[in-house]
Amino acid sequence: MRIRASIAAVVIALAAVVGTVVMGGAQDKTLSIGVLGPLSGGAASYGVELVRGAEMKADEINKAGGLKVGADTYRIKLVSYDHKALAADAATAANKLVFQDKVKYIIGNAVGATCNAVQTVTEPEKVLFSFVCWGTNNLGPDKPHSFRVMLSQWEVAEPFYRWVKEKHPQIKRVAAISPNDTSGKDTNTAVVKALKALGFEVAADEYYERGTKDFYPILTKILAAKPDMLDVAAAPAGEGGLILKQARELGFKGAKGWTAGTNPFTIIGVAGKDAAEGVWSPANINVRSDFVSATVRRFGAEYEKRYNEVPGVIAVANYAAFDVITKAMQEARSLDTDKVLAALTQKPFETVWGRLVIGGKETYGIDRQFLYPVVISEVRDGKVVDIAQVLPTALKK
Amino acid sequence: MSIDLLVQALLNGFGLAMVYVLVALGLTLIFSILEIINFAHGEFYMLGGYVTYYAFAVFGLNYFATLGFAILAVGLAGVVAERLIFRYLRGKTLNAFIVSLGLLWVMQASAQLSFGVLDKPVPSAFSGIVRAFGLVISVERLVVSLSAIVLIAALYLFLRWSRPGRAMRAVAQDADAAALQGVDIELVSALGFGIGCALAGGAGGLLAPVFAVSPAMGALPVVKAFIIIIIGGMGSLPGAVVGGLLLGSVEGLGSLFMGSAAVSVLGFLVVILALLVRPRGLFGGA
Amino acid sequence: MEPSRGLSAPPGRALSAPIAGLALLAAGVVALPQLTRDSYYLDVATTILMNLALTMSLRLQVSTGQLNMAHISFMGIGAYASALLVTRVGISFWAALPIAAVVAALLAFPIGGLALRVTGPYYFLITFAFSEVVRLFFNNFFVDLFGGPSGLVGIPKPSALPWFGRALTFTTKLELYTLMAALLLVTAAVLVRLEHSRFGLVASAIRQGDLLAETLGVNVFRYKLTAYVVGSLVAGVAGAFFAHSHQVLHSSDFGLEPMVLLVVFTVIGGTGSVWGPVAGTVLMTIAGELLRELHHYESLVFGAVLILTMLWAPDGLVALPGKLARRRRAGVSLAP
Repeated sequence: MRIRASIAAVVIALAAVVGTVVMGGAQDKTLSIGVLGPLSGGAASYGVELVRGAEMKADEINKAGGLKVGADTYRIKLVSYDHKALAADAATAANKLVFQDKVKYIIGNAVGATCNAVQTVTEPEKVLFSFVCWGTNNLGPDKPHSFRVMLSQWEVAEPFYRWVKEKHPQIKRVAAISPNDTSGKDTNTAVVKALKALGFEVAADEYYERGTKDFYPILTKILAAKPDMLDVAAAPAGEGGLILKQARELGFKGAKGWTAGTNPFTIIGVAGKDAAEGVWSPANINVRSDFVSATVRRFGAEYEKRYNEVPGVIAVANYAAFDVITKAMQEARSLDTDKVLAALTQKPFETVWGRLVIGGKETYGIDRQFLYPVVISEVRDGKVVDIAQVLPTALKK
Repeated sequence: MSIDLLVQALLNGFGLAMVYVLVALGLTLIFSILEIINFAHGEFYMLGGYVTYYAFAVFGLNYFATLGFAILAVGLAGVVAERLIFRYLRGKTLNAFIVSLGLLWVMQASAQLSFGVLDKPVPSAFSGIVRAFGLVISVERLVVSLSAIVLIAALYLFLRWSRPGRAMRAVAQDADAAALQGVDIELVSALGFGIGCALAGGAGGLLAPVFAVSPAMGALPVVKAFIIIIIGGMGSLPGAVVGGLLLGSVEGLGSLFMGSAAVSVLGFLVVILALLVRPRGLFGGA
Repeated sequence: MEPSRGLSAPPGRALSAPIAGLALLAAGVVALPQLTRDSYYLDVATTILMNLALTMSLRLQVSTGQLNMAHISFMGIGAYASALLVTRVGISFWAALPIAAVVAALLAFPIGGLALRVTGPYYFLITFAFSEVVRLFFNNFFVDLFGGPSGLVGIPKPSALPWFGRALTFTTKLELYTLMAALLLVTAAVLVRLEHSRFGLVASAIRQGDLLAETLGVNVFRYKLTAYVVGSLVAGVAGAFFAHSHQVLHSSDFGLEPMVLLVVFTVIGGTGSVWGPVAGTVLMTIAGELLRELHHYESLVFGAVLILTMLWAPDGLVALPGKLARRRRAGVSLAP
C-alpha cells in the first residue's frame, strides 16, 4: 500500500513538473526591455516620463495576458537605469543592459550626447534603440538599429512656420531662444533654417545655460531687436514658462511660439494665464482636450491617477513607441531585431498619434524617424486648444 | 547701445542679487563658525521653496506668514542636520565636503520622490509692473529684493547687537578663545548652522513665486553664492553685499554683449582674478 | 591590501610593504579576466582601473596638501587632444597618447602655477573655477573642433600594434581592459615609488604645515607644482584612453559630477596612504553599480552611504583596520 502511495506521489510530482515545463515553455517566457534616461537632476522630467510611458504600455500588455509573438507568449519586464544626463554613465548603463540584462530592445532615452554614447554599445550588438534625442547625427545609415520616436524640430519647424506665415502674415521678425545644449542648438538651427527659407527675418538666435531662471538680461537684449514673435523653441516647460512670464513683465506683447514644447500645463502654470495667452505649439499634446482620440484621453486619465502628474508629450511618445515596436514584433513573428526592423519600416501603424509612418530618408539618409501629423495648438484663457493640423513634408505622400 | 538699455541691464542684474546674497550669507556664516563648506546648502534653499509652495500655493496662507514659516522650518531642519551630522565635522573641511555632498544627494532624491519631478508653479503674491525713467521692473521683484534687504539688515543687527550674535562672532574669530570666555560652542554651532540654513530657506521662499519650484532648483543659487563670497570675502557681510552687486552687474551687462556661455566664463574668470589679486576678498579678514 | 606606512618606513629600506602592495594589485588585475569574460563586468573593471589612475594621482596632489578640483579637466584635455590628433591630424593612437599627456602636463604648469599662489579653501575654489572655465570652453567654443554640446563622435579605437610578427588588436572589452591594466600598473608603480622616496617624506612634511617645511629649507612651491604636473600628466593619459575606448566625448564627462566622484573615492578610501584610493575606488564603484538596480533610490542610498562612512571612518577606509586593532588592544589592556 505504502509503496503504491509513494509511486503515485512520485508520478504526480513528475507530472506536475513536466506539465509546468510544457505549459511554462509556451507561456512564462520573459522579454526584458530596457529604458534609459536621466532619472535625477535637472533633466529628470524627461527620463521619468519615458519610464512611465513605457510602464503603462508594458502593464497593459501584461494584463491582457502577455505579448504573443508567433507561438510564444511573453511577459514584459522593464529594466530602467538612470544615466543622470552624463554620457559616460549612459555608456555604462547601456553596457549593463546589453551584456548583463541581455536586452535586445532599448525603448527610450533622452539628452543628446547620451544617445551617441549608448549607440557605441547598441549598434555593434544589433540592439534596437529608440529615443527622443534631437541630434541630427543620432540617425543615419551607419546606425540602422536606431530610431527616433518623436517628431524632432527638423520635421516640425518648417510646417509650423509655414502655417504661421499663412495665417498671420503680419509677423515678420522672429526671435528664437533655447538652452545651450544639443537639443537647443539643433532646434534653433532648424528654426532659423525654416525661417530663412520662408522669408522671415531672424531677430535673435539666442542660447541660455540650462538651469537659468532669471532671463531679464537675455530678454532685454532680445526685445531690443523688436521681434514680432518670440519662440521659446527647445526650452523645457519650466524655463519656457519663465521666459514668457518675464518677457511679458518687460513689456513684450507680440506672438509667442514653442516649437519644441512638451508639457502644456506646466508652462501655463509657470508663466501665468496672461503671459501664456496665445502661445502656439506644434509639438504639444493636451491629453484632456476633446481634439485627441479617446485612447489618448484614457491614457492621460490613467497616467494621472497612477502618477499624480499630467503626462507630457514624451510620455505619450514612449507609450506609442512601445506600442509600435511590440506590434512590429508580432508582425514579424520574431524577436530578432533585424526582422522586427523590416516589419517596422514596411507599412503605417495606427497609434495614439493617428496614422504613423516611419520615414525621414531625405533628412537622415535612412528611414528611421517616426512621422505623424503635427497638431498646432494655441493657449486660450488658460486652456490648450487644438487649432490646426499640418503634415511634415516627408509625410505628404 | 542706448544708455536706457545699459541701465536696464544693470537693473536686471541687481534685481535679484540681494536674494543670492542671502544665500551667500548663510553659506559664509556656516563657514565662519564651523569651518565647513556645506555643499548641501542649495538643498535647504530648495526646502524653503517647497515649504512656500505647500503653505502659500496649496494651503493659501498669507505670503509673508508663509515666508516666516519657511525660515523657521528650514532653520529647524538645519539645526537637526547639525546635531545629527555636522557637529562631528567641525573643522574637518575635507570630510565635511564629502558628507555635505552625501546630504545633497539624499535631500534632492527625497525631494524628487516626495514632490515629483515636474516644476511646480507658485502664484505671484504681487502683480503689476513699475515703470519709471524708462526702466521696467515687476512689483514682484521689487518686493522680493526689498524683503531680502530687510532680512540682511536683520541679520546684521542680530550679529552686531544681540548676545548670541556676538557669541557667534567671537567663535568665528577664534573658537578656542571664545570657549575660554565661557561661550557654549555647541550652542553657537547649532544656532549658526540653523541660521545659515534659515537664510537659504528664506531665499528659496522669496524666489519660489518668481521662478517656480523643482527638486534641482538649488544647484545654480549655490554656485552664485560661492562666487559672491569669493569676491566679497569669506566671513564678511558687507563683502557679500558688494560681491552680489558686482556679480549682478557682470551678468546683467555681460548678457547684453555676449552669449550665456561667455557670461558664465566671464563670471569664473572674475573669480579667478579675485582669488589671485585679493584671496581674502574685498572685505575678508579671516 | 596592506596599507603602506609612508613615513615610518624610511626611503630605500623596507620596500617590501609597497612591493607587496603592487604585487597584490597586479595579481588582482591579472586574475579578474580569468574569473569572468562577461562584457559588462569587464567594462566596469576597466572603468575602475581608469579611475584608479585618476584617484591615485589626485591623492599624490592631496598628499602635498592640495585638493585640486581641476584634475578632471586635465583628463579632458588629454582626451580631446588625443581624439583630435587621431581624427584630424591622422596619427596613430600610440603616438597621440604620449603627446596628449604632454599637452596636459604643459598646461598644468601655468594653471597650477597660478592656483598654487593661494591655499586651503581658496585653492579649492580657484581650481573649481578653472575646471568650470575648461568645461565651458569644451562645451561652447570652437564647436567645429570639439563638437560643442552635441559632443565629439566617431573617435576610433586604438589601432593594432605590431608585436613580433603578429598584430595586437584593441577592439574587444578584454583587449581594452588589458591596455588600461598595463597603463595603470605602470602609473601605480611610479606613484608608489614616489611615495616611498624623499618626495613622499617631504610631501608629508608639507602636509603638516607649509611653514614648517619651509623652515627646513624645502621649496614648498616646487614640490606642490611637481605633484600638480605629474598628477595632470597621469590624468592626461587616462583621458586619452577614455577617448578611444568610449569613442564619444562630451564636456559633461569632465565636469563637476565626475570630479566630485573622484574626490569621494579618494577621501573615503583614505588620503593618508597611497593605497587608500584603491580601496575607495573599487568599493564605491561596485557599490554604485549595485545601486543602479534601485533606480530612483540610487542617489538616496549612495548619499546615505557617504554620510555614514565618513562619520564612522573619518580617516578613510584603509585606516579602519588600524583603528579597530588599536581599540581592541586598548580594550584588552583594560580587562581585568
